Amino acid sequence: MQQTQTQPSASQQPIMMQPPQVITTKDHLYLKDQLSWELIAMKKCQHFAQESQDPEIRQAIDKAGQMHQRHYNMLLKHLKHGNRSAMNQVRQLQQQTQPS
Amino acid sequence: MKLNPSPRLSLAGRRSANQAKEASTEMNMNQAQSNQQNQSMNTIQNPKPANEPQVKGPEMNDRDRVNDILALEKYLTDSFNVSAREASHPQLHQNIMTILNETHAMQYELYELMFRKGYYKLEAEDQNKLDQSYQQFMGYTTQFPYSGGHVM
Repeated sequence: MQQTQTQPSASQQPIMMQPPQVITTKDHLYLKDQLSWELIAMKKCQHFAQESQDPEIRQAIDKAGQMHQRHYNMLLKHLKHGNRSAMNQVRQLQQQTQPS
Repeated sequence: MKLNPSPRLSLAGRRSANQAKEASTEMNMNQAQSNQQNQSMNTIQNPKPANEPQVKGPEMNDRDRVNDILALEKYLTDSFNVSAREASHPQLHQNIMTILNETHAMQYELYELMFRKGYYKLEAEDQNKLDQSYQQFMGYTTQFPYSGGHVM
C-alpha cells in the first residue's frame, strides 16, 4: 500500500522519500486525544440540538454533531492494523543497509 | 463581513463599546456627538429573534447553546492545528488537515448563523483611519526585498 520510494543512490543506503505509513508513538497519543475530543463533541452537539427550540439552531448544531461523528471514524481507521506490515517493509529496507 | 475576531464574543463586544465611551471623554461635545452618530451609522447588526427570552434566567437558552458549540469548534480548530503539524506520515497529515478544514468551515457556519440571528454587532472602521494605515504601509513597500512587488 505504501510506495516507499527508494532512491537507488550511488551508495548502498536506500532513502525513504517520505515518512512511511506507520503510526508512531506520538501519532498514537495524538489520535487518542483527537478521538476523545470528537466523541465529546458529537455527544454535546446531539444533546444541545435536542434541547434547542429554534429549528434552524437545532439543525446547525445537529450538522456539527454529525460532522464530528464522521471525523471520529476517519481517525479511528488510522488505528486499525497496518503498522505490522508497514514496519516489515521498513525493516527490510533498513536491513539492506546493514551489510556494508 | 467579520472585521476582526474580538467582537465575536458578547463580552468583547461590550468591552469595545466601553472603549468607545472612554475615548469620547477626551473630545469636546461636538466631536463626541458626531462620534456617536458615526457609531450608529457604522453599526452592522441584524434584528434579534423574537423568541429570545427578554429576562434571562440561569438555564441555558438557544443562544447559549450555539455559543457554546461555537466555542467548542474554535477550540477544536486550535487542537487539530497542533495535531496536523505533529502528524508523521502524509496520509495521516492529509486526513487531519481535512478535519481541520471542515472544523473551520463549521465554526464559520455557526458564526454566520449567529450573525443572521442578530447575536453579533459589528462595527465598521472609519475609512479615514483605513486611509491613514494604507498610507503608512504603502510607505513600507520601499523596504520590500523583492523587485517588482509594488502594489498600487
